[in-house]
Amino acid sequence: GACRVSMSTAEIRAGFTAIKANIQSRDPVRSLSILSHPHPLNRVKSSDRCCITHHLLTFYVDKVFKHCTTEDSFLNRKISSIANSFLSARRKLGQCREQNNCECGEESTEKFKQILTNYEGLNVTSAAMKSLGELDILLDWMEKSR
Amino acid sequence: GADVFLPPPQNISIISTNMKHFLTWSPVIVQGATVRYSVEFQGEYEREYANESWIPVSECSLTTATVCNLTEDISATVAYRLRVRAQLGATSSPWGTLKGFFNRATTSLTPPLLKVMADGYHLLVELADMGPAFQFRLLYWRKGQESRVQQQLVREVSSVLHLATMEAGAEYCVRAQARVEAIGRSSGFSPAQCVQAPGDTSLW
Repeated sequence: GACRVSMSTAEIRAGFTAIKANIQSRDPVRSLSILSHPHPLNRVKSSDRCCITHHLLTFYVDKVFKHCTTEDSFLNRKISSIANSFLSARRKLGQCREQNNCECGEESTEKFKQILTNYEGLNVTSAAMKSLGELDILLDWMEKSR
Repeated sequence: GADVFLPPPQNISIISTNMKHFLTWSPVIVQGATVRYSVEFQGEYEREYANESWIPVSECSLTTATVCNLTEDISATVAYRLRVRAQLGATSSPWGTLKGFFNRATTSLTPPLLKVMADGYHLLVELADMGPAFQFRLLYWRKGQESRVQQQLVREVSSVLHLATMEAGAEYCVRAQARVEAIGRSSGFSPAQCVQAPGDTSLW
């Protein structure tokens, strides 16, 4: 879409890389994917990317991060910086969406609904940890679609 | 002895330069005792989505220092609140909170450190590394031809950078500016540094 947010995925990726192994080791359901089931993100049409990215940032901010508090202070600090980066990026993207009127096509709306269905199919803590562990899938897709 | 009352730390301030952020405060003095301090931060996410929770900074938990490096934790361009308290044994002071919010977008940016060299006819530049968030803009020109300034963007500092091949005997000048895309700001320019190519410029 027209919105190219100068979101520093590099900073988010650095924060995520520092906790990825630990987070992914907490994922009890290996045979399922929240973001990639049944279709990968890169099927989303380029015209819909702005809208879907905004939806996904909102999904993580509203639903995922709040259920990811752990007993580990280092993890909590890194999750906090990722969550605050998502909040900042969503604000910029939201402003851009309004100016450019980026709307989601039908296919992409279906794709996002499927992600919510996958998420609600698990208990909330497992779903949140799995979604957090799939951040590299989201970051790869966001960087490729720049 | 009776529990001593610990006042909260005073003069709490943040020193932020080139995207490095340090919280500092005045020591709480208790005669004959070692007072320790603990620091916590709260981002916009915690205020709006996590019940205004605070996150402890383990490197600055029960520290005797009166400074805390928050660079790794303040890694988003949102408003943060910061607080510190004193601790002596089982006694803790009330929290002392930084007045207002801190957003890394307000960090002060200094011009980059630059070294310009002539290696024969090659104009070379060395830039000091300022951290992963930094990119650089180099302006260079031949002295006397100030209207024909060339520009080069440097995304990552590695070793020495080859800017141009100089003409015999000519003098070339370079200035540099740092840029942080994550906050959308740039530093001022460094002073111009000039070097001369070997040989002379006399026409033949």
